[in-house]
Amino acid sequence: MNGLTSYSYAPLLFFAAIGAGFAVFSVAAGALAGPKRYNRAKLEAYECGIQPSPHAEGGGRVPIKYYLTAMLFIIFDIESVFLYPFAVAFEQMGLFALVEMVLFILTVFVAYAYVWRRGGLEWD
Amino acid sequence: MTVGGAESALFWIAGPLAVAGALALLFARKAVHAAVGMATAMIVLGIFYIAQQAEFLGVIQIFVYSGAVMMLFLFVIMLIGVDSSDSLVETIRGQRWAGLLLAAGLAAITIAGIGKAAFGTPRGLAEANKDGNVSGAARLIFGDYVWAFEATSALLITAALGAMLLAHRERLTPKATQADWSRERIRSGENVAGLPAPGVYARHNAVDTPALLPDGSPAELSISRVLRARGQVGTTGALTQVTQEIEHEVGDESDEQATTRKDDDA
Amino acid sequence: MSTLAALAATTDNPVADFGDTPWWLSLVKALLVFVFLLINTLLVIWFERRVIGRMQQRPGPNRAGPFGLLQTLADGVKLALKEDIVPKAADKIMFWAAPAIAGAMAFVSFAIIPMGGTVWMFGHKTPLQLTDTPIATLLVLAVAGVGVYGIVLAGWSSGSTYPLLGGLRSSAQVISYEIAMGLALVAVFLYAGSMSTSQIVFAQNDLWYIVPAFFSFVVYVITMVGETNRLPFDLAEGEGELTGGFHTEYSSLKFAMFFLGEYVNMFTVSALATTLFLGGPAAPPGIAAIGDGMLNGGWWGLLWFVVKLWLFMFFFVWLRGSLPRVRYDQFMRLGWKVLIPTTLVWVVMVAFIRAAELGFLGDSKVSLLGRDFPRATLFIIACIALAVLVAAWFYDNHQVKRRAELEEARAMDEEIDPFAGGHPVPPLPGQRLVEPPLALSAARPAPVTDSGSEENRG
Repeated sequence: MNGLTSYSYAPLLFFAAIGAGFAVFSVAAGALAGPKRYNRAKLEAYECGIQPSPHAEGGGRVPIKYYLTAMLFIIFDIESVFLYPFAVAFEQMGLFALVEMVLFILTVFVAYAYVWRRGGLEWD
Repeated sequence: MTVGGAESALFWIAGPLAVAGALALLFARKAVHAAVGMATAMIVLGIFYIAQQAEFLGVIQIFVYSGAVMMLFLFVIMLIGVDSSDSLVETIRGQRWAGLLLAAGLAAITIAGIGKAAFGTPRGLAEANKDGNVSGAARLIFGDYVWAFEATSALLITAALGAMLLAHRERLTPKATQADWSRERIRSGENVAGLPAPGVYARHNAVDTPALLPDGSPAELSISRVLRARGQVGTTGALTQVTQEIEHEVGDESDEQATTRKDDDA
Repeated sequence: MSTLAALAATTDNPVADFGDTPWWLSLVKALLVFVFLLINTLLVIWFERRVIGRMQQRPGPNRAGPFGLLQTLADGVKLALKEDIVPKAADKIMFWAAPAIAGAMAFVSFAIIPMGGTVWMFGHKTPLQLTDTPIATLLVLAVAGVGVYGIVLAGWSSGSTYPLLGGLRSSAQVISYEIAMGLALVAVFLYAGSMSTSQIVFAQNDLWYIVPAFFSFVVYVITMVGETNRLPFDLAEGEGELTGGFHTEYSSLKFAMFFLGEYVNMFTVSALATTLFLGGPAAPPGIAAIGDGMLNGGWWGLLWFVVKLWLFMFFFVWLRGSLPRVRYDQFMRLGWKVLIPTTLVWVVMVAFIRAAELGFLGDSKVSLLGRDFPRATLFIIACIALAVLVAAWFYDNHQVKRRAELEEARAMDEEIDPFAGGHPVPPLPGQRLVEPPLALSAARPAPVTDSGSEENRG
């Protein structure tokens, strides 16, 4: 794209466009190519032969357990986001960065240990 | 400042997409549609960062926002109710006006703050990316902004604490394992081999069809508690009749059954 | 090492040079990679069914075409001609969008995989790689993160119970294992000093990273199975529990998109493992030495890359042929309580080893077996070994104590005769069997010592 870099993101866009085009085309083609035979039972939710479960008022709900998983995921995700530039630039930065990083990891580990100790990592 | 042809083309394609996503976030009636609109806006923003050669920032934008934050958001809205739509009823009186007032105040403060910002002379991308984009970001994080970086870890601890307080229920007794349950069954002497499985017939084997006891009556216990409560236990009469017919055809029936059938025929 | 040190300031950026690649050549290469992926997917589905057939002592599909090679194609055509069912309760827009997202996102990541050396193509000198950027490896993770939307939305939009559960499970599973995967990659970045794939391959000239980052490799291989929802971690579509999981309500080509996405994802994670740990398109050590590297680089790279890629595919199939599905809580425990903490500790260890190698912890060197090692490296490795030993000792002590307690509890149990009631019954908790005398040893005649009997036998 310019003189600074010898690489570019354009091929990535080409490739993504080809993949997306193929996926959209296939999904559309499937709807057009197949037969259409209406059958009421066919359009109901599939539950292995029993009558479909009635949907709860306002939709079904999921266990709050998943909220904790998502939150822990964010915490570790942010930790690893800091680890990437640290790893890449490690050679240029030296000992100070290593000490910083160890402190950071230890602090986050406190949160992890707390969640483990309270039983937040148990699935039941 | 000049903008290349490819870059402006990207802008005119992706820009409206980001705006459409942001508008969907505001105006979509279903919470999940709003979430997907927001994800679109975030991903397109990441693409813009990459196009402006802030590559690390761009990919992190996609990585963290699309991956983590949106997952959290999806889980939360699923918690509220999968199909729930926005309700426009005020639950607290005057809530809407108070909200508008606070929003206007925030906007005033922000605009005042940004209006006072002074720009230094731009250093140029060539210098910023001299040692590579990622290393440049690393030098800033672990050099100039080291305190902000370390403070982030404290923020993460707070997040973990908050999540635990909101979403975790302490377990008071140890969880019963599979082994515990089986020991309990043996001790109590009831259903020692476990509950009976639902019926499996030549023409039907859904979980709502009860198994048959030796005397031919349906075994209620073989149906899941939920289905029994919903009153969805299937009937077996038609199935047993089919079984008898088939047995008759293949000549594999007891003498008693054969005589009763002969009586029926007569 | 000295050449690397000279390049240290610029290791961020790719070594592969795309300067001589005009845009139309990129387009041609993009098409070629796309076709490569499609053909490989067609082949691997056939391969999987044949190999699993062998493992289960049956032939597998062998009718359509030579050796049944066209089976997948026939299945694809059949799927296209099936009715496309949209359930009544489905959210129409998302129900359409989900398979398109899953299919499209699966393809993006392969663009940054180096598949060979630099070659002449249509009069231009270009690397056998679509493109490379300083953040190439992160791009794979980011795209995988977006790809999960396909699964979550498929589960949500179906308006049915099993798909919703499958979608939730799958997203929780993918995000749990993505952390361990991301952390495992940090060790590789520490060694290579870059996230660009061509730079990482270049840095493996001396030694493939599977050796110095062996633990990362193990964690990566486990997590890549978890990420792609494959057996033994295919809980999102465990047919014994959730019928089909998130794709229960999908039919026709929409279902095919999920299927295709899963297999393309398998290729992507395998290709990334090849790139990061097995030297990418580099020839195996023995062969690389032949004829001054004449079998290394250029088009030869493509051969080695494909061989390594298919070794991983065989591994996937082998796993599916031999392991049963794990339980959900066991799966999450492995991810959160084993993989994440151990990988974090491993990353810190690697950081210290690297610091010692780079001389951050003192410059003195020790000569050992004719090679110079920094004193600090040896010290750090000794510390780690010591820590491992101490941990093993504690673990062993704990085990011994537990076994002793068990024995004690057993000794307190009441002895029962299993045959007391006429037919054998197992012991209840708090009881134990009377050990019967070993019937065989009692019945066996005393060993004959008389040498004369040998002759008698004739």
